[in-house]
Amino acid sequence: MSNILTPVCALLLQEATGDRLSLMKQGLTHPDLSKFLVIGALLFIIGVAGVLTRRNIIVIFMSIELILNAANLNFIAFSRYLQDTGNAGAVAGQVFTVFIIVVAAAEAAIGLGIVIALYRNKETIWVDEIDLLKW
Amino acid sequence: MVLSGWEALFFWIFGFAALIAGLLTVLARNAVHSALFLISSLVSVAALFILLGAEFIAGVQILVYVGGVMVLFLFVIMLVNVSAEERGREAIFNSTSQVLATLVFSALLAFGITYELNQGAQNLQKRDEAKLKEVAVQRAEQQAASQVGATGTTHLTKDTERIGASLYRYASLPFEIASVLLLVAIIGSVMLARTLKQEAAVDDVDPELLKSKGEL
Repeated sequence: MSNILTPVCALLLQEATGDRLSLMKQGLTHPDLSKFLVIGALLFIIGVAGVLTRRNIIVIFMSIELILNAANLNFIAFSRYLQDTGNAGAVAGQVFTVFIIVVAAAEAAIGLGIVIALYRNKETIWVDEIDLLKW
Repeated sequence: MVLSGWEALFFWIFGFAALIAGLLTVLARNAVHSALFLISSLVSVAALFILLGAEFIAGVQILVYVGGVMVLFLFVIMLVNVSAEERGREAIFNSTSQVLATLVFSALLAFGITYELNQGAQNLQKRDEAKLKEVAVQRAEQQAASQVGATGTTHLTKDTERIGASLYRYASLPFEIASVLLLVAIIGSVMLARTLKQEAAVDDVDPELLKSKGEL
């Protein structure tokens, strides 16, 4: 595998002599903890943007699931990182993830129950039309 | 923790798949499409979990999220979205200023976090090839030492065993509390989703009587 990736990277980064460029190449062929954290952070940001911009309340719930998943990814990445450094309690990250999944399932059940009750009373799922408490 | 070889390639594939599917979840017009894109994002994240050596969590992710929560979502979309679809091509986003502000702050957050993480990683570890090889050899040894599966081509992971031991040894009280939480969620969602008629029936009042009084 690395004998395919290495020439491709060398082609892309012709002057891979610089310290920074060789580090970039290394990061591409050998992704480490920070790459997982970047993916998790971007998933989180996409989820937050979805919560803040969408009008459909069901899609807002889906964005919340995306946010919880980003947190899970961070937990698992750090768990693996601590495992590789020989930490005995590293599996705690995975145990915590189990609890997050449980809470997410409970939250989805309650939230969707609220959506159904709301739809029965207000006949809408657009959040900007649900303004009962607005002044 | 360093991935290499095929693992690195699959990391990039599934990482970008998770991000793109997440983005399409937010951007899709139809809520059913959103749900399907969210499913692909969740599956990609499960694949990342497998790359990180958390096979049990990956299985739980697929069983609980994709098999349970997303089916619930699809049912609610089916129950609720019918008339919303009939209203035709309505705006799916909030007002322009709100979207603009969100985009600006999201971009700031994304660039800031990515820059800082890269900076921190660079300062933290200027890895040399020797150490990378050492870690790869260590992992290969660990894999070889683990029990061989029934077909002889795979190795069995001890991940589930470790999680189970840790869960029952150190987190048994939170485990029980989580089960109570799920029970409360079940009862709560049943209470929330029932109709006025069903509520009246639970109170042992004849719905016809309420209707004649004009309360229903």
